[in-house]
Amino acid sequence: MKRTALFMLVASVFLSGVAWADSTIKIPVAAAFTGQLASFGEGIKNAAILRGEEINADGGINGKKVQIVLEDELCDPKEAATVATKLANDPEVSIVIGHLCSSASLAALPIYRDAKLPAISPASTNVNIGKMSPFYFRNVYKDDFQGLFLARYAKLARGFDTVAVFYEVNDYSMGLMTAFMKEAKKLGIKVLGTEAYTSDTTDFKPQLTKFKMMKPDAIFIPGYAPQGTLIMSQARALGMKNVAFFGADGLDDDLMLKNPDAEGLFVTTPFLPDKAGPQAAGFIAAYKKKYGKEPNWFAANAYDGVGLAAQAIATVGEDRVKIRDYLASLNSKKKAYKGVAGNTYFDANGDCLKDAFVKEIRNGRWVSAEKQLQ
Amino acid sequence: MDSLLDQSSLFLQQLVNGITLGGVYALIAVGYTMVYGVIQLINFAHGEIYMLGAFLAYTMVTLLGLPFFAAFILTILICACFGVILDVIAYRPLRNAPRLAALITAIGMSIFLQNLALMIWGSQIKSYPREILPKIFYQTAWSLGEATLSWLQVFILVVTVVSMAILHLIIHRTRIGTAMRAVSLDKTTSALMGIKVNRVISFTFAIGSAMGGMAGILVGLYYNAIFPTMGYIAGIKAFAAAVLGGIGSVPGAMLGGGVLGIAEVIGAGYLSSEYRDGISYAVMIAVILFKPSGLIGRQIGEKA
Repeated sequence: MKRTALFMLVASVFLSGVAWADSTIKIPVAAAFTGQLASFGEGIKNAAILRGEEINADGGINGKKVQIVLEDELCDPKEAATVATKLANDPEVSIVIGHLCSSASLAALPIYRDAKLPAISPASTNVNIGKMSPFYFRNVYKDDFQGLFLARYAKLARGFDTVAVFYEVNDYSMGLMTAFMKEAKKLGIKVLGTEAYTSDTTDFKPQLTKFKMMKPDAIFIPGYAPQGTLIMSQARALGMKNVAFFGADGLDDDLMLKNPDAEGLFVTTPFLPDKAGPQAAGFIAAYKKKYGKEPNWFAANAYDGVGLAAQAIATVGEDRVKIRDYLASLNSKKKAYKGVAGNTYFDANGDCLKDAFVKEIRNGRWVSAEKQLQ
Repeated sequence: MDSLLDQSSLFLQQLVNGITLGGVYALIAVGYTMVYGVIQLINFAHGEIYMLGAFLAYTMVTLLGLPFFAAFILTILICACFGVILDVIAYRPLRNAPRLAALITAIGMSIFLQNLALMIWGSQIKSYPREILPKIFYQTAWSLGEATLSWLQVFILVVTVVSMAILHLIIHRTRIGTAMRAVSLDKTTSALMGIKVNRVISFTFAIGSAMGGMAGILVGLYYNAIFPTMGYIAGIKAFAAAVLGGIGSVPGAMLGGGVLGIAEVIGAGYLSSEYRDGISYAVMIAVILFKPSGLIGRQIGEKA
């Protein structure tokens, strides 16, 4: 049903685009809108559409209407490569917002690089992404920062001395683990063991049983929510009552709230509605009004991504290389794009530095953690 | 991790995990092997019956508010009917067609059912809300050192063993079981002896699918994860278990399931969790290499 609705949406956007092809600017948004990680894509979709409507209500970009085109790639590298090829060969596309998952970004970026098509990822945090292409930008922090931040937070704010790491075999999770372990070593956190799983795993008991015998203070899950929620339930079922769980932005999903075993989980996030600056107030209110819930960080970054793309096109026109050069020129705090999720400016790799926050589940709701590190 | 007690309770816990998983594989594998026994068809849609079993029980418990055990029985009956319908619609018209045609149809049915589930229930993983299930499932039945056995695991093991025993009795002690064995030996001669072959085949599908559906419910409970593609992986694993034990042999499927489940968990627990599926398939390949008919499969000659 969801898929049909999405198809209709894409189709209607597409058809209406044909009608006024000359007077519109296409901004494709590539992420997972169906499949297991669809709930991540939902925030991106909602916010991109909201921003597109706002831009059009203000008269569009240089008199042209913006048209947000949703491209579903399920966070699957193969699908991402297909979508990327399609967009790279579309002369009407001058910039892409995407992709969501790091593995999808790594599959898509060589295609964009060869086609000289700039892209802004709102969510891919793997360390290697920026270095691989001058055409790939992101307005989200990297995993080396996120992993380092989590290690510091675990030690300094929570006082964990022993940790076990349960990672997924993918670019995002393994990059995060490496960064975490490096900083953990410096801080004197003892990593008792690491275990792996793949995205189609539902049985985590053999690995958790090993962790159970190690008796760590906490288990770090640098993975995604669909598996994270199962891991926590199965750990509790094995009788691991006192161990704490924490993760990164991949666990930041409302799916977790349905699971009573996830109580107490804390995660890093690039955006917290109640910690955001005054520039975010309008966005949060408009998002709540349109969708009936608070925007998450995926939404905030996608909203900024579309805004940044619109600003680039408004300044230098629809030329791919000129847009790329414009984005690259935003390289200092002074020139930063002031978005709802903080200021975005890029280093030589197209990566950016942004604050991280911590939120946790208390009484079945996501709330800002009492202790924050700044 | 230091003391001997910790080490041995770790091993014990892994063994318990492995046996539970193996029991579930065995339940699914029996469905593959029985159908293969009577019509020499690898029913690739069997994994989807397992998936439907998980979803049906989930829907009955959460949406219709049925008590768990009522949903359990009802789901098994519905899955048995599904199996029969599957045979009548998809396989019976092709009974005398080349074997490949039925195999392709089986794959087609598998894809169809998977996408049907995707449309009905969506792609997100579904989990039972804890308060809806019997409380006893989450309590510890028995513990030694750090190793624990939950009542849910006990329930899974008991259901597995009891249904295997019943199956054994059906095959060896009833008229329909005798007919099944006759059909699996020689379909044409059985028909000439007055056995209604199609009825026997339907019965086989009903029993196999009932056990597959049952396995689906148990796995949905045990891992608390129900999703449309769950039948694919479980189906492949159970198929491997059936081949490992000797396809066509019911005790073989039970043994194969157990061996595969334990190999997988011990492999993940002691060797490398990254290659856990690889380890279980490696065990299967090794057995097939050295004993092509499986652990206790009958020798199949060059039948034309």
